[in-house]
Parts: sequence; C-alpha cells; structure tokens
Amino acid sequence: MVKKKCVAMLLAGGKGSRLNSLTKELAKPAVPFGGKYRIIDFTLSNCTNSGIDTVGVLTQYQPLLLNSYIGIGSAWDLDRKDGGVTVLPPYAESSEVKWYTGTASAIFQNLNYLKQYQPEYVLILSGDHIYKMNYEKMLDYHIEKRADVTISLIEVPWAEASRFGIMNTNEELRITEFEEKPSNPKNNLASMGIYIFNWNILKEYLEMDDRDPNSSHDFGKDIIPLLLDEHKKLYAYPFKGYWKDVGTVQSLWEANMDLLGEECDLDLFENEWRIYSVNPNQPPQYLSPDAIVKESMINEGCTIEGKIEKSVLFQGVTIGKNTIIKESVIMPDAEIGNNCLIEKAIVPGEVKIPDGTVIRSLDDEIILVTEEMLNGLYPAI
Amino acid sequence: MKRKLLGVIDATTYHEDLEDLVNHRSLAALPFGGRYRIIDFILSSMVNSGIRSVAIFPKMQYRSLMDHLGSGKNWDLNRKRDGLFFFPSPIVESDENKIGSFEHFAANMDYFNRSTQEYAFISNCNTIINMDIAPIFEWHNEAQCDITEIRHQDGRSMEMYLIKTSLLIKLIEKRHETGYTCMKDVVTDLSAAYTICHYEYNGYAVTIDSIDNYFSTSMKLLDSKVWKQLFLKEQPIITKVKDEPPTKYVQESVVNNAMIANGCHISGTVENSIIARGVKIGKGAVIKNCIIMQKCQIEENCYLDSVILDKDVKVEAGTYLTGTAHAPYVIRKGTKQGALMNS
Repeated sequence: MVKKKCVAMLLAGGKGSRLNSLTKELAKPAVPFGGKYRIIDFTLSNCTNSGIDTVGVLTQYQPLLLNSYIGIGSAWDLDRKDGGVTVLPPYAESSEVKWYTGTASAIFQNLNYLKQYQPEYVLILSGDHIYKMNYEKMLDYHIEKRADVTISLIEVPWAEASRFGIMNTNEELRITEFEEKPSNPKNNLASMGIYIFNWNILKEYLEMDDRDPNSSHDFGKDIIPLLLDEHKKLYAYPFKGYWKDVGTVQSLWEANMDLLGEECDLDLFENEWRIYSVNPNQPPQYLSPDAIVKESMINEGCTIEGKIEKSVLFQGVTIGKNTIIKESVIMPDAEIGNNCLIEKAIVPGEVKIPDGTVIRSLDDEIILVTEEMLNGLYPAI
Repeated sequence: MKRKLLGVIDATTYHEDLEDLVNHRSLAALPFGGRYRIIDFILSSMVNSGIRSVAIFPKMQYRSLMDHLGSGKNWDLNRKRDGLFFFPSPIVESDENKIGSFEHFAANMDYFNRSTQEYAFISNCNTIINMDIAPIFEWHNEAQCDITEIRHQDGRSMEMYLIKTSLLIKLIEKRHETGYTCMKDVVTDLSAAYTICHYEYNGYAVTIDSIDNYFSTSMKLLDSKVWKQLFLKEQPIITKVKDEPPTKYVQESVVNNAMIANGCHISGTVENSIIARGVKIGKGAVIKNCIIMQKCQIEENCYLDSVILDKDVKVEAGTYLTGTAHAPYVIRKGTKQGALMNS
C-alpha cells in the first residue's frame, strides 16, 4: 500500500430517529436533501474537493441503500487505484460480533484499515451535516499549530449553546475545557464533530479507551476529555460559513428552504466546489403551459402542471393540474395528483398523493406525509 | 441477442444546411433537447437493446464528440471486453454522406475481424429516436434476410441496416470488385445477389439534416405526446453527466411550456423554449420560441424570439433578437451579443 498523508474516516451509521419515518428504512446520511443530493454527498464532495482521496465510510444502521449508493465512489471521483472509498461495516471476529457501540469504538474496530495506509493524520467526519468545508486548510492549521488534535468549531447562537458540545479556549485557541451540553455555557463555540488526529495519538488513545470498561467509547464524551486531562495539545479551528445539522423534520425542512433565497449562504452553483451526487439521468424538467413556478428549486425529470411556490422538488416528481405546492419539499418520484394543496410539508420519495388531497399545517409545525396519513388512518389537517 | 450484435455508428455525416451549428463540431455532437447530444439517441437505443460493443466512425471536428463520449462510462460501455471503440477516418476529403462507407470500415478491418458478434447494426448518428432493436433482429432472422434496411412508415430510409458481420466483411473486402462504396449502394442495387428486406419502423424518428428541421423537431419536444415517446423510464436516453445543481427560480420567474435542464438560474420569462444546462436568464428578460444551449448568459431585459443560441453565448442587457419559425436566428458558439450591435 502507498502511504497516505491523511485518511478520512466518515461516520455514517447515524440512525436519525428524530427524522421519524424518513429514516425508517435508511440511515440519516442517505436522507435526500436539496433537490438532488443525499446528506452524505456534502461530506464526500468536501473530501474530494479538499484533495483527500482515501475515505473509510463506517456504516451500521440500515446500510443497504447507503452501501449501494456509495458503490465504488465514482460519483465523487473516489474510485482510485490507491485508496478511494471503502465501506466499513461492523464485522464478526472469531469470538464475537462487534457492533459499533460509539463513535470511538467504530474507529477502533477499523484500526487495521488505517494501519495499511500508515497515515500521518486521520480526519474524523460525520455524514450528518450540510456544509462546504476545505479540510486541507484545517490540516494546514493543524500542522502549523503542531497540535495533537484539532477540532473544528462553529459559533452557534448563545440561546442554543447548551444543546451542543462547547469548547473553551485560551487566546491561542488552545482548548482548555470541553463541556458536553452545559447548562450554563461559558462560550458559544460548538464542536462540529470534525477532528484531525495525529495517527499515533489516535491509535494510542483508542486502544486505551477500549480497555476502559467504564467508557461509552465516544469521541466527545470519552476521548476528548481524556486527552485534555493528559494535557495534550488540542486546538480549535474556527469555521465560518453555512453548517446545519438536519437531525429533525423541522431542521431538514428549514435547510431546504435556506436554498431558495436569492442570496443563500450555501451556494450549490459554485463551480470550484461542486457537490457531487449519483446522477439519476432523467430528461429535463417539463413545465406545462399552465405551470407557475416561483422561488423554487426543481430537478431533472419533473413534470409540472400546477403551481410551485417556495418549494424544493427532487428528480422525477409529477405535479398535477390546479395543484398548489407551497413551502414544501417533494422527494424523488413522488406523484401528486390534480387539485391538491400541499403546504409546509415534506413528501417522501415515491409517495402517490391522490387527486384533491389537502395537506396543510394549522400551526407552524412541518408535516411529514406518511402512507398511514394518506390511507386516512388519521387526518392530516 | 445480447452478445450477438455489434453496434456501428457512422458519425461522418455533414449537412451544409446546419453549417452555423456544426462548423466547429461533428453533427453527432450537436446539442439537442436541453441536455443531450444527437448521438445519445441511437447510442442509448443500442445499449438499451443489449448491444455491448459499439464502434463510432467519426470524421472531422470530433473533439467535442470524444469529449462527450469519453470512455463510454455513462453508457456502461467502459468494459474489459467489448465496449466503446473510436475509429476516426484516415480520409480527409469528404465522402458525400455515405452511411457505412466501406473505405472507412476497411481502414479498421481488425475491429470487424476480431469481433465475435454474429450480426452488425449500422446506423447514422443524427436520428432522434428511442428504439428497441430486438424486434428488428427477430424479424430479420425469421424473414431470412441477408440485409435489412430500416424504413420509416412513410417509406423513407432511416439509414439503418442490419447485416451478418461475415457478410459485411465480405462486402468491405470486395468493394473494388463490386463497386459498392457503402451500405446504401448495396440496398439500392436491384440486381444485388442478396436478399434485401425492408423493416417498417412505426415509432417516433426524425433525422436532423437542416436548421429548419432541427428547430421544428426541438419545438415539437414540448408536445407531451412526443416527449413521452422519447423519454421512457425503462429505456432512458443516457448522456454525459454534469453534476449541475437543480434549476433555481425566483419570485419574478415566469415559465410555461418549457423544457429546462439542470443548473439554470431563471429570473425572467421563458415561453415555448428549450433551455440547456447551466443557463442564466436575467430579470425582465423574455425568451420565446428559443433553443438556448449550455452555459449561455442572457442579461436583464433582453427580448429573444425564435433564436437559437449555441453554447457559451453572452447576450448583454437590453438586447433585442428575433428570427422566425422557419428561419430562426442562429448565434454561433462563444460569441457576445450587445444591445447596440443589431440596432
């Protein structure tokens, strides 16, 4: 094997249980976003755009779709002779099957994957977030600071700081304290779950953590506090830009709506930092003489005969006559009949909505359309 | 049928009537339908019909065609065995639109000799079609034909032929003795010593050979009866993937009866038009009955009616450009149109 300077480990086992029925059959990183993407496309595209060509993707929960989606990584230009993308599911050893019990145990069980590349640095990522980031700059910073570990941080609103893992630093941005979900936060710099480790430190501490029976084997809860206790050099890397955890139906909807403004913080059109995805190869979208489309994003393969306002439509969606879609997200291949009204809702992929259906929220809560709802088992309105 | 057929696409066709659009590219690579190149239609038909070995015979100006096809990966033709082959013509002077020129084939005899496929399906490159070749193959064998020419239901030849590879090799080798220079010569020779059959194709098929029919065929795509015959879920027309984001519309956007590809920014009005990938249309601009190719930029308050903009054209704010349904105004690739230039 050719030695690699930096290898990325992408944690993609997230269950995303607050996304309700959207993650019933697929892992959170595979949830559709932004009209043509899946959440994991952002992290994989960041890797390839940052010049990182060796990525281990750790899957566990509902991996079927995610595994086939990633394939050999060609969509992200990660089908390489040396390195490239490797899906790393949990495996059985002679004595037992080892499920990934925490983020640290997932990496620990794949130390052999890392050992074959003998990397100098390991970049730990999560496949749950929407953002564009140049990891190469973070690595340069890590090297310049001669850090043992560098953690990427983002400023969050003070009111929300107690929901995150908060880092306190000195003036040189060296991390002095880490507090997981503090009730009285001293700072509003939250961990984005992106770490760069020196390989030796990572290996040593993961092995140490594995021997600790009281550990929950989590980077935030166990590894980082242990490193701080031992006075290792942990530095904060402040990130500026769009970053969103789309962990709930509400935040998934919000992140989609964020794309629609004329000035949006997440520029999907930027040529120098393309977000790649598996392309469905469908014909151009067709807008009939009756179609009205305002402030929306629409993907290939859609057929639109109704009115679309402030909405995001994925590939292959059909919208019937006199139908109004407002402030909604319609996922791939959904078919919406004539004379429907859908407002503030997320319609999952391949759902068929019959003519005349009205789905709208009476409060401001976003409706996630389900089969049960359409079968009339309980009313949507 | 899968391993029995070779696909041969003759991409040497040149029509003077298309000059403005093909002076820098092979006709096979002419953009069509917002995101395709003309060759995608026959190539996808072949691949969807199970053909696993396709040879392209291009002539001049094949840079854009090679760029488009690449290794054949998008059509799943980047294979260890068989796959996509490219045989540019060694003959510089034009060979007057002979589909399946034996001289051109003769320069690449090794391909035919090495192929294990028993039959060859030869086609031109400029037909807009989504065709299943399997029924033709069965028909050809049942009728015990030597050569089948595919004809449209109106009787005209579609410049597509089905022939045994061994017979094709023989025709190429004996071209000087027989005087046959191409497939057309053989099928139009009434005294030919072969059983020549005509298969009648009833599906949608248009051969692009002039700006006029390029324009009208494109406009007919907006008729759902037409595009439903071309864009089938089970037999997709495959093209080069571009990784463009979905198309974005703003508050002022007005669109009706339009086909719009990905990666566009539509801030103006689009009516009865086909808009390709990555096009920007500014506020207050009105685009009617137009074909706008990839990456064109149309600034604010322009008015375009019956215009074909080739790739990378920039139209400056306030420009007024019009053509007619039978003589669309064609603007060449990469040029800039200013408001004052046409006044």
